[in-house]
Amino acid sequence: MQLKCPVPTNQTTTANEPMPLTDRNMTTRPVWDLFIRSFHWLLVTVITIGAVTGFILGPTWLRMHLIAGTIAVALVVARIIWGFSGGSFARFAGFVAGPRETLRHLAELRRASAPRHVGHNPAGGWMILFLLGMILLLAITGTTVLGGVFKTGPLGFAVSYDLGSAVNKIHKLLAWGLLGLIALHVAGAVYESLRTRENLPLTMVTGRKQARPGDHLPPARAAHPRTAALIMLAGGALGTVIGLVLAQKPVPHLPITPLDPTYAQECGDCHIPFHPSLMSAHRWRMLMASLDSHFGEDASLDEETRKKLEDWMVAHAAETVDTKPAHVFAQADSKNPISLTATPFWKNTHKAIPDKVFKSKPVYARTNCAACHKDAETGMFYPSNIEIPAEAQK
Amino acid sequence: MKLFPNLILSGTLLAVALGAPIQPAQADPARDAIIAQLKAQAGVSSFSAARGKKFFHAKHAGGKPETPSCTTCHTNDPRNFGKTRVGKVIDPMAVSRNPQRFTDPKKVAKWFRRNCKTVLGRECTAQEKGDILTYLSSI
Repeated sequence: MQLKCPVPTNQTTTANEPMPLTDRNMTTRPVWDLFIRSFHWLLVTVITIGAVTGFILGPTWLRMHLIAGTIAVALVVARIIWGFSGGSFARFAGFVAGPRETLRHLAELRRASAPRHVGHNPAGGWMILFLLGMILLLAITGTTVLGGVFKTGPLGFAVSYDLGSAVNKIHKLLAWGLLGLIALHVAGAVYESLRTRENLPLTMVTGRKQARPGDHLPPARAAHPRTAALIMLAGGALGTVIGLVLAQKPVPHLPITPLDPTYAQECGDCHIPFHPSLMSAHRWRMLMASLDSHFGEDASLDEETRKKLEDWMVAHAAETVDTKPAHVFAQADSKNPISLTATPFWKNTHKAIPDKVFKSKPVYARTNCAACHKDAETGMFYPSNIEIPAEAQK
Repeated sequence: MKLFPNLILSGTLLAVALGAPIQPAQADPARDAIIAQLKAQAGVSSFSAARGKKFFHAKHAGGKPETPSCTTCHTNDPRNFGKTRVGKVIDPMAVSRNPQRFTDPKKVAKWFRRNCKTVLGRECTAQEKGDILTYLSSI
């Protein structure tokens, strides 16, 4: 906002009146170029989507979370390239200060004698590096989780469930860390706006800042937008190709597909044919030994069929795969070891779903996984494939 | 799911429109053989559809309290789709609606063994099985 001060003519300013920092003749200079501004607000958008889908909406929004994360990485990589090829205010060399200079700046801020930096000040410069680094770390850990826990993406072939699951905890901590950095970044922008009496968030829209005497400017450097665009395009293409090639590599220890036809027929007559990778061989043997009282029903089979099915189930049981369901259902309920819906994991992940959904016509029973998990028969239970039928939610 | 009853309805209407009335029972050599074997086991020369109907719709004691009758899962009209206790759809039992019914001796034996135990708490006799098959073949 411009201060509407009358231009002094015959008046003289008294000693205790502050010097007006702005007046009508104040000139502005371009600071944040179009790339920086687009980058900034696009990043705000995708990080918001990433945070909302990750922290609030949960696993069913995984696909949106992945899209947001992928765009965030592309933006950050492009920003890093621009940091070596852009103009004066975009260059890392122009705003990354050494420790001594940074400490001096902080001390001057405390004494209220810090100069006005037109670009990033030393504290703000470090914040930019921390933010970029944090987003890259989130992308690396996120891709590791995707590969280990969900068995897909560029690292699906390389990461075990145990590693992916451990890295998931780090990913969450880093996400909180990023939120903390963003809070500090916003606080810094507000503080500097008040201190220098200029709306800094607005300058990230207009790109222009006031030119004042005594401004601290980075060394002048020419931007090389064509070179930068070429490197970004080449890097983007290379990254995409590498990602796609890695994602095509066969993932080890996946659940068997398709189901044995006799198994699908015999077990699928009464309920969905549960994938053999959902329970351990030991628990399948227990189940197959008590078919005459199978969850309150007589589900007995002739011995030949029973043995054939048991052998197939044991051969493809939880021990033989590395999926999330195979791991999380390994912890059985002691009273009801052959029930999946009695396991602590099942109860915990389904506790927010109202009872009426399970009793509704399209679902009918808690054991009818396929009513909502469209890939239940594959044993994968990928979060993006969850779709609670609209009828069940009425 | 919504589409399904509509498909059945339109299929039925189409069959009626084409002048193809649903046969009360279609003979099938495999089914005839199963019934003949039950006759031999029961030592009778014929079964009763009326007795089979009564048995099918009766409430029995001795089995699981959740499943006192055949109709618990197969509904009051065997020409309808039924539902297992966990919601899986069961094809109609009536041969007129499902000509594949009772043509596989192993399958017939398996389901009589299981369901009689669950509903009656015992195996069904050859007489009871024969009556039920005769009833379900007649409608």
